Amino acid sequence: MDSTTSGPEHNNRAPRRVHEAARTALLLCALLVAGCTTKEVIVVGNFPAPLMEPLPVALGVWYEPEFETHEFFDEAKGRADSTWIVKTGEAQVDMWSGLLNGMFLRVERMDGKPAPEQMNPAVDAVLIPRVDELQYTIPAHTNVKVYEIWLRYAFELVTTSGEPIAEWTMTAYGKTPTAFLQSDEEAVRLAGVVALRDAGAHFITSFLTVPEVAQWMEELERSRTPTAAL
Amino acid sequence: MNRTLSTTKNLFRSVALLGATMLTGGCVTSTVDEMVFNEPIEGIGDATVVILGRRHASDYDTEFDFIECIAKHIVARDRSIEIIDEIEFINSMYPWFEPRTAPLRPADIDRLMQQQPVADQLAALKLEYMIWVDGSTVQTNSAGSMTCGVGPGGAGCFGFGTWGNEADYEATIWDFTDRAEVGRLNTTTSGQSYMPAVVVPIPIIAPVQGTACDGLGDQLLEFLSSEH
Repeated sequence: MDSTTSGPEHNNRAPRRVHEAARTALLLCALLVAGCTTKEVIVVGNFPAPLMEPLPVALGVWYEPEFETHEFFDEAKGRADSTWIVKTGEAQVDMWSGLLNGMFLRVERMDGKPAPEQMNPAVDAVLIPRVDELQYTIPAHTNVKVYEIWLRYAFELVTTSGEPIAEWTMTAYGKTPTAFLQSDEEAVRLAGVVALRDAGAHFITSFLTVPEVAQWMEELERSRTPTAAL
Repeated sequence: MNRTLSTTKNLFRSVALLGATMLTGGCVTSTVDEMVFNEPIEGIGDATVVILGRRHASDYDTEFDFIECIAKHIVARDRSIEIIDEIEFINSMYPWFEPRTAPLRPADIDRLMQQQPVADQLAALKLEYMIWVDGSTVQTNSAGSMTCGVGPGGAGCFGFGTWGNEADYEATIWDFTDRAEVGRLNTTTSGQSYMPAVVVPIPIIAPVQGTACDGLGDQLLEFLSSEH
């Protein structure tokens, strides 16, 4: 590299220059760091149980460790920006557990990821939710006085031995307007709660419209009717 | 002599009152349009009403506190009207009144009623009218500048600021028994607020949202109450 030509063996004053440059770089870094702030949001909320007739299914649910501790990290791009950490893991588990318990006749939390050798409670199928993507906007980004959170989920419905039944994706969106004396963090937290509620609403209204799920439900129902035993 | 003193006192009181009014409130202009039919002439009896805000637009949400303000306005003037709290209602009906799933037309209620737990819950609430409020209050303009400083002798501000607010709300009344729209009310309110500052900033706030709340609340009260 060309820069090696200004190394110690070529110039005696170089170490001093390197020191000065390092000091300046450090100072600049310190200034840059001092200009940025980290905003941490832990999404927590009360999620109501769904008002519906439960589907006649014994469903298992497996939360991957990444799902249970899901967090979104967005590093500041400039001095005027803030670094954002949005933690949704705990709220995700809270919301999905409540939702699934109200949506299905019986819900069991799996001991391990469904696989041929894995011992798990006996259920009709196992749902594995995953957060594929999280995006957020604040008024500083868009000039619109709304805080938004957008989530994309990926779901896998598998048998207890891990064979796939259905795979699909789903989006959820939450927004909250700016309010007097409301911090950015509080507004993003509220938008997160709205997004999670929307995820629940979207899941309930779309679950049976996934073709593979609808087909599996039909087969499940057929297998339970007395004629199927004949 | 006594009479002159009393007149001076009254004049002073009037000027002070006028000054106080000017200080606390900017100018507000409000227009209310109304179109209702099938009004419950004898009131709504022991049935209940729910007022809900529309929140499915991309750039605004009808404010929760505006809905609460209308409900409080109505109940304060006719205690016989029972209004279900909006958040309580939305939570008890989850997920059927979320922005994604909320019914947009009265005919959508039939679709909701096909779910037995939803039908049972609505029957238990004795819901007669569902009122949807759509709109928001926005800042339309702002001008002026203000400088504030702190010194050893104290702190103070100097300057002048002004901003305008506009509130535009529409309330749609659905008759739950007949599954029909029975009224539509609209209010548009605008006002200019001022903040002169000579050492201390003095806000002269135009109560735009409050006036819109009163206007819509009065019209809804007229519709729902047998006493108004």
